[in-house]
Amino acid sequence: MKLTDMPKVTRRSFVVGAAAAGTGLAIGLKLPPFGPGIVRAQDGSPEVTHWVVIKPDDTVVIRIARTEMGQGTLTGLAQMVAEELECDWSKVTTEYVTPGESVKRKRAWGDFSTGGSRGIRESHQYVREGGAAARTMLIQAAADAWKVPPAECGVANSVITHTPSGRTTTYGKVAEAASRITPPKEVALKDPKTWKVIGKSVKRLDTVDKLTGKQVYGADLKMPGMLNAAIMECPVFGGKIKSFDAAKVSSRKGVKKVLQVGDSAVAVVADTWWQAKTALDALPIVWDEGENAKVSSASVAAILKAGLDAEQAFVGNDAGDAKAALAGAAKKVEAVYSYPYQNHACMEPMNATAKYTADKCEVWVPTQNGEAAFAATLAASGLPADKCEVYKIHCGGGFGRRGAFHDYVTQAVRIAKEMPGVPVKLLWSREEDMRQGRFHPITQAKMVGGLDANNNLTALHMRISGQSILASVRPEAMVKGMDPATFQGLARGGEFEWGYKGIPNLLIDHAMRNPHVPPGFWRGVNINQNAIYAECFMDEMAHAAGQDPLEFRRKLMKDNPKHLAVLNAVAEKAGWGKPAAKGVFRGLAQMKAFNSFVAACAEVSVSSDNKVKVHRIVAATDSGYAVNPAQIERQIAGSFVYGLSALFDQECTLKNGRMEQENFNTYNSMKIAQMPKIECIVMPSGGFWGGIGEPTICVAAPAVLNAIFAATGKRLRSVPLKNLGYTLV
Amino acid sequence: MKQPSRRTFITAAGACVATTVAAAWPALLHAQMVRTPLNNMPDAIRKLAGAKTISKGRVKLDVPPLVENGHLVPLSVSVDSPMSEADHVKAIHIFTERNPLPEMATFRLGPRAGRARVATRVRMADTQNVIAIAELSDGSFWSDSAFLIVTLAACLEELPA
Repeated sequence: MKLTDMPKVTRRSFVVGAAAAGTGLAIGLKLPPFGPGIVRAQDGSPEVTHWVVIKPDDTVVIRIARTEMGQGTLTGLAQMVAEELECDWSKVTTEYVTPGESVKRKRAWGDFSTGGSRGIRESHQYVREGGAAARTMLIQAAADAWKVPPAECGVANSVITHTPSGRTTTYGKVAEAASRITPPKEVALKDPKTWKVIGKSVKRLDTVDKLTGKQVYGADLKMPGMLNAAIMECPVFGGKIKSFDAAKVSSRKGVKKVLQVGDSAVAVVADTWWQAKTALDALPIVWDEGENAKVSSASVAAILKAGLDAEQAFVGNDAGDAKAALAGAAKKVEAVYSYPYQNHACMEPMNATAKYTADKCEVWVPTQNGEAAFAATLAASGLPADKCEVYKIHCGGGFGRRGAFHDYVTQAVRIAKEMPGVPVKLLWSREEDMRQGRFHPITQAKMVGGLDANNNLTALHMRISGQSILASVRPEAMVKGMDPATFQGLARGGEFEWGYKGIPNLLIDHAMRNPHVPPGFWRGVNINQNAIYAECFMDEMAHAAGQDPLEFRRKLMKDNPKHLAVLNAVAEKAGWGKPAAKGVFRGLAQMKAFNSFVAACAEVSVSSDNKVKVHRIVAATDSGYAVNPAQIERQIAGSFVYGLSALFDQECTLKNGRMEQENFNTYNSMKIAQMPKIECIVMPSGGFWGGIGEPTICVAAPAVLNAIFAATGKRLRSVPLKNLGYTLV
Repeated sequence: MKQPSRRTFITAAGACVATTVAAAWPALLHAQMVRTPLNNMPDAIRKLAGAKTISKGRVKLDVPPLVENGHLVPLSVSVDSPMSEADHVKAIHIFTERNPLPEMATFRLGPRAGRARVATRVRMADTQNVIAIAELSDGSFWSDSAFLIVTLAACLEELPA
């Protein structure tokens, strides 16, 4: 059974065989002296390692811990297991594992977290090892049956052949015996040069179910006897409930319960969601909004502005003595940029369905992190881990909102706990989803650059002022008060390495200013604004130096060969330096993020009334390895939808302490007619694993902004451009 | 921030008093992505107990198996002890292997405490083993351990330090 099927209420993901109770088949785990028992899937088919179930008809079910939300990780991970397993790809299906089962098996499937573009790049090793271990066991089983050494056996497409005698058998036939074999402690992985399934643009495994409507999203989930809940939390962040008059709505048709959830939200439970939602709309609620109700976008901007020149700041990257070098520069350029709050605005609003009884709490939820949803379930239900389970559903968008915050799971469990035995689906309204975001943090940046007499960029000071995500979300990850994630794309080294080591005097620092708005990880996170600040200002410096923006960058990137390689690739393919079509102008940007190197060259034209047409974007990605190149191209194209929507249209503004935008009429996404042609260069250089889902978003805006400058001579330094009178056409 | 190699982990774990370390979960070592380097927990434990044996038992450490946020983790420790003048728990020590400081808390108790149980909330920097060691009035040491998963935030990545 595929997990892309509608989850069934009574279904348990795994039925553990009686002989094996408590003993996982996890690779490398110490096995009991009598040898491993067989762990079976629900239909009785044996597990050959915890990653793979093989059915008698040779169907291979590959277990997936990460979450599919459109990015294709489900298919990519299956490709990696299948590569080592040497199975028949046409017979591969997938299945989500559950976090409760994972806890029982001591985290046999590793981390569930699907964010940070880490689905593939952080599980490639152990999923391939899982496939290789299963292959070894299957060959061993066939060899044992034939009483021959395994080394004499070869395998391809799920068929095992004893080479000297020509005898053959299939995985389905030997799976039962293979499942009894102790998994090997060490397995050798294939040389990437010999990959056959990895690197191939196979079709996605989840497309058909989505096209035919077979895939049921969390928002559409229905269960027998299920009730529906609508919820409203205090729209002023940090506010609480003072009172609400349940009697006003409790006799409405279908309404079952009106209840307070935590100290800041009220929910209505009814037969249908619409009954719940309309009753909630009619419910008189008095909020204790607190001091935060005084906060507005203007008051936040003023606080950030003060941070631009504040004396104290956390240093994220430096070289030489930037301040002294700037003081002595022949020419100094200064500019201030800003980036707003933004909402993830997933197409599917937050939701979770929970069923609670005194000895079991189950949750069905679209989540980017099954383990975190499970942790929220444990905490909210008060039940121990062996009495809880979470069933994941593919997400209708995630973008980070469904990764680090499971407030909607906590709410659903709290509501279900008040109605034992009844499954309750909590579905946020679009308005609730927009009000209760975990917003892209707000920042401003003051950029100061210095040129020497020969127009070389000798000094750069980048001062970021604004909100830290970690200070709010993961204070335990702060380093001596500093939020290192603020410097994504600007760091001294690592996955977010700064691309201009050739600047001799550098200072990148952060004056942390944390408003009351809860920040979150918004697809790409801090690279989105950092790329605008750094890459647009790099263009400003090139212009001040009277040099070509590409040549100006190249001089500073001699020690950043991989950054430079993607930049050169887009420049060449876009025809940089050669004339563009009449009225069309080009702009460049590059960045390293999530361990991948990305660059873009945008071609735009701008009309006299500031209508911007993006004609074409050439984008390059070096992710080290490319598991499914076609899927990478789609992810890159999709990144421009996200990045250009944010650049032109998206801003959440504060009034009286709450977000003003409550739906897509005021928080717009670009339309298909506005979409430029995207040309992708997938250029894996090997030897490392980079992410795909996020990096490219950040080069969308600066490439287009630099092209707009080339077209108009105007520097647009605040996002979104609609505030400056520019529209995307 | 470099992830400690499998070997580093095993060495460190092996160096620790054997009975105090949770089953080392070999499959985890590559499966879980820990971000924080190991601290010097084995040394800290050795400093506490010296050459004395730390026995498994009598202590019950309760933490959730996994938490969504390491900022505020409920933790409780109870020790099987009559808490009499003659036989009581003198102290309960909590050790972690990946917090900045290995000894995260010490609770001093005496017979007048009445019962040998403490409950608190702690901050956990990462997915890691947690060890509770009870120091008894007869000079013996007892322990329990737990493995705690701090789930990773969405787009948080290996961070440049």
